[in-house]
Amino acid sequence: MSASERPLEMAQKPAEMKPAKPGIDWRGRLLDRAPFLVACLMLALIVGIYGSLQSGVFTLDEINLDTAAAMTLMLAATGQTIVLLRGGIDLSIGGMISLGTVIAATRFTDDPSTVALWTLVILTLGFLIGALNGLLISLLKLQPFLVTLATWSILNGVAMIILPTDGGSIPGWWVGFASAQFVGLTSPVWMLLALLLFWWWFRATGVGLTIQATGSNEKSAFLSGVSITRVNLVTYGLSGLFAAGAALFLVTQTGAGSPTIGKDYILPSVAAAVIGGVSLFGGRGHLAGTLIGAFVLTLIGNLVFVLHVSSYWQPVASGVILLLSVLASSVAEKAARNRVQ
Amino acid sequence: MNAFLARNRLIVLAYAGMVVLLLVTALFSPGFLSVSNMRSTVVLAAFVGIVALGQTFVIIGGGIDLSVPWVLNSAAIIMALLCGGQDLPLVWVMPMLLAGGAFIGLINGIGVAQFGVPPIIMTLATNVILQGLILVLTGGSPTPSAPALIQFLSVGRVGGFPVIALIWLALTLVATLLLSKAAFGRHLYALGTSATVAEFSGVPTARTTILTYVISGLTAAFAGMLLTGYSGQAYLGMGDAYLFTSIAAVAIGGASILGGSGHYLGTVAGAMVLTILTGLLPALNLSSGALLIVYGAVILLTVSIGSETFAGLGGRFRRKEG
Amino acid sequence: MDLVTVNGLSKRYGGIVALSEATFSARAGEVHALLGENGAGKSTFIQILSGAVQHDGGSILVDGQDYRPAHPDAAQARGIAAVFQELSLIPDLSVEQNIWFRHEPRTLLRTVNRGEMRRKTLALLEKYNFPTLRPDQELRRLTLAERQIVEIAKGLAKDPRILILDEATSALPAREAEWLLKLTRQLAAEGRLVIFISHRMAEVRAIADRLTIFRNGGTVAAHDANAVSDNEIVTQMIGRHLDRLYPERIATATDRIALRTKNFSSGSRLSGVDFALREGEVLGVGGLQGHGQRELFQSLFGATRASGTIELWGKPTSIGNPRQALTGKDGIALVPEDRRGQGLLLTKSVRENLTLSVIKRFTENGLLSRQKEAALVQEMVDFLRIKAGTPEQLAGTLSGGNQQKVIFGKMLLTQARVLLLYDPTRGVDVGTKGEIFQLMRDLAAKGYAILFHSSDMPELVHVADRVLVMRNGRIAATLEGDHISEEEILRAAMLETRAA
Repeated sequence: MSASERPLEMAQKPAEMKPAKPGIDWRGRLLDRAPFLVACLMLALIVGIYGSLQSGVFTLDEINLDTAAAMTLMLAATGQTIVLLRGGIDLSIGGMISLGTVIAATRFTDDPSTVALWTLVILTLGFLIGALNGLLISLLKLQPFLVTLATWSILNGVAMIILPTDGGSIPGWWVGFASAQFVGLTSPVWMLLALLLFWWWFRATGVGLTIQATGSNEKSAFLSGVSITRVNLVTYGLSGLFAAGAALFLVTQTGAGSPTIGKDYILPSVAAAVIGGVSLFGGRGHLAGTLIGAFVLTLIGNLVFVLHVSSYWQPVASGVILLLSVLASSVAEKAARNRVQ
Repeated sequence: MNAFLARNRLIVLAYAGMVVLLLVTALFSPGFLSVSNMRSTVVLAAFVGIVALGQTFVIIGGGIDLSVPWVLNSAAIIMALLCGGQDLPLVWVMPMLLAGGAFIGLINGIGVAQFGVPPIIMTLATNVILQGLILVLTGGSPTPSAPALIQFLSVGRVGGFPVIALIWLALTLVATLLLSKAAFGRHLYALGTSATVAEFSGVPTARTTILTYVISGLTAAFAGMLLTGYSGQAYLGMGDAYLFTSIAAVAIGGASILGGSGHYLGTVAGAMVLTILTGLLPALNLSSGALLIVYGAVILLTVSIGSETFAGLGGRFRRKEG
Repeated sequence: MDLVTVNGLSKRYGGIVALSEATFSARAGEVHALLGENGAGKSTFIQILSGAVQHDGGSILVDGQDYRPAHPDAAQARGIAAVFQELSLIPDLSVEQNIWFRHEPRTLLRTVNRGEMRRKTLALLEKYNFPTLRPDQELRRLTLAERQIVEIAKGLAKDPRILILDEATSALPAREAEWLLKLTRQLAAEGRLVIFISHRMAEVRAIADRLTIFRNGGTVAAHDANAVSDNEIVTQMIGRHLDRLYPERIATATDRIALRTKNFSSGSRLSGVDFALREGEVLGVGGLQGHGQRELFQSLFGATRASGTIELWGKPTSIGNPRQALTGKDGIALVPEDRRGQGLLLTKSVRENLTLSVIKRFTENGLLSRQKEAALVQEMVDFLRIKAGTPEQLAGTLSGGNQQKVIFGKMLLTQARVLLLYDPTRGVDVGTKGEIFQLMRDLAAKGYAILFHSSDMPELVHVADRVLVMRNGRIAATLEGDHISEEEILRAAMLETRAA
């Protein structure tokens, strides 16, 4: 509905403020969450079609499998979601993921203590490199897109020097981690729950709120006492940390290191977040949406498989879904804006 | 003259960087400045330069075009398929594919300008859709070789000059005219500086935005066909490298990624810098990994200079007042 | 003893002096008004007090101790909170999240205690008798007035000893403005210091105990509020007498109708506006803020969608976008409300800004002629006496008055003869204000038709030939001749509807 069709609803406002209506503004809340709801709908649709064509879809096994398939993207997209909430973008996660996998593939041995040490090294490196991105962005007042494009290239280069082609080896017990079961659920499912728990903590303690607020309106956040430099450090540091985590999980799926594999996660991580309703302009979005977006992108592959069409249709489908969800959110945004005006 | 230098300082710096790089490379590898080597450097730079032409327009207008790789790749593959190594079909295939590239640009532009889709998402989506369609079309296997005529355009020479260098020169002239001498250029810089101010000043913002993506589609498709001629055949993934290099060339050439500033003449220097670096590293016995590190460092360096330069420029004006 | 003592306070931005040797002192338990023209240094002063920027020279003593906040947090730690005119709120957070942002009550696990936050919010709103707000509503769903009230609540939530209110009443409707004035007295009675910035003399009169006047970055005078007359205050604020500001009003309107609207509406903010603007006339548009003035101007210019009919010079026209509005001799040009956001390309030159709307005028065979462009630019620089080093100087480095002149030049180059001026003197120094009013009368005498909105009522009273008063998106009254006075405008804006 266009604004002009709604006569005088708000016209009295400026002259005298109407007292706020009691109760909950359901329509407003619905519009706010429209992109997220659209993502849920898409997922339900995909799962529905998938389930009607394939038996055994609605079983724990299938959930375990699909979560493992989506987990690398989910980890990368969690970091990306934090950066998008801040109003930035992180392309360097591609380099970090590659670097993580080649370090793991060349340094991991059968000795668990060595693996533990290098896991720690990779995660620390991820955080520090991310924090460096944040520092460059803050101190030199540079654009996140270009800074992280540059660090992506640099990290990718380092990865290629460590391991010029795909290879190396990952100890079998680390690979087995991805299918290990605890209390009936595999570790990827536990990780998924851990991600949601992290998000709750992240929001509830104010760290996430501060990052989100800075992305929503940087100047207001500054005037409220937020240190923008510190926010950038933490935001990009966390993104690097999650990229490193994604690399550590990715090697359980590939069993090897790859100096180029990271680039396959850069734009999909943005796409997963956007499909899940995270705004590219900062300030709005939720990890649950991103995780659903990651599931959507992953399950399209399954769908293409059971529909017996060429797997090459998968990118086409993901592109179309991406466009549809962006259009849906822009329509909802317009409707919401009309209500305020 | 001073005003010219002040306004175009980043572009001048990009050329200065290019010259320094050439000299340094010559120091390590004496044969580098030879006519034949320079010729091949310019040919390689031309591909980057042509793709980056469209990217320059899009970025000056405040957008970004991530659909470049598969527009390029699609044009290459479809051309090879339709021509089957014959020259004659090129007469209609080339215009058709240029129109196709422009059409993808049109879709990108309409999505961005009319529907308000963020450029990153819009062009990312068209890129993966094209990628999928081409994979379906080819079944994932390579295609026949390139027609001889297109090979002539890419590797042939006229009077000692590579044909593609002449093409590049002509395109540079056209781009410069558009940016510096035509109303379109003024509209574009205004749009990239502030879309709202441009709209309030009567600039046709939607049309200008759409046109930048159309130009980008055109140059990417054109580069795809030329590249097929250069490598003798079309293959899947041949456009992937050009996403990074086209954006990097624009950034090194002094344009702001936020839009509103920069010039194609700077991008030309950026394309040359990137290509010379590729030639420098074998001379130093460095791996391709090292090349990526150097690329990243060069981008960081140029954007840092850019941000400082802007601050410095402001300071100079203030001093004049006080 | 004084709670705040400021001596020799200075601040420069590059080569521009924002504050020089300013002094100020205020006691606990008083409402202290800060007065001055735009650009007098008031906002720099409160930005320094609130820790948003740091001063270069001079000293601030709070409670007799040196005070130099490096950061807004440091100011808050010393009990100083500011309610900013531009607001420091986060659009994507709820009302209560905004009020307690970074000061949320915590649980033992360091997570935000939502129940406690709600309880404290309601207690705060009740204690100071706030107009009704829904604590859970997202901020971007609120009107400007509601946001202003949230900003006030946010300032009070820190329980400050010193509260700075920067033009906090300007966005508020009458009843809420009244509430705020009572609130400031209540806060002073609680022993706090309220530093109150307002352009409305009546408000200052109603609540201030003392007042300090700023001009050109320095302190001109400090008075007890009841020991000084309005006239003395105004004279000290602008440094000369008011009567020279406005040009003589000579009636130049003809019978020719330049612009006529019928049943002109846009959304819910503008409903059924009919008026006629004549050649040679300056037609004022007044009323309280937010009653459709902005929508009227933007719709006429094609920047906002509208319905109804527009006739330009007797011909029915449809204007779908600014480009159509600006085209041709029968066009409409606008000096927009937001100079920096809508009017000027700050990082581009004066030349590029001046000619942006008229590129066709110096295009030959598709190519730009720099010579012709230079001639157009020179014409406007001379005509408007724009003070720029060269036409290549960046627009963002000009003073506010000169920036506004560039926008006028850009508009005059289009050859449109219906001019829409939306608050053209906002943030402009007094000297340039006078020039702008003179220019308006000169243009009217040349046959231009001018629609003129000002947020400063005396400007309408002294410059316009007639004044349309808007209320609730309609024209509530049309005032002519001797009926044009601040009192009449206010009456029509707030009280009764008169036949137009």
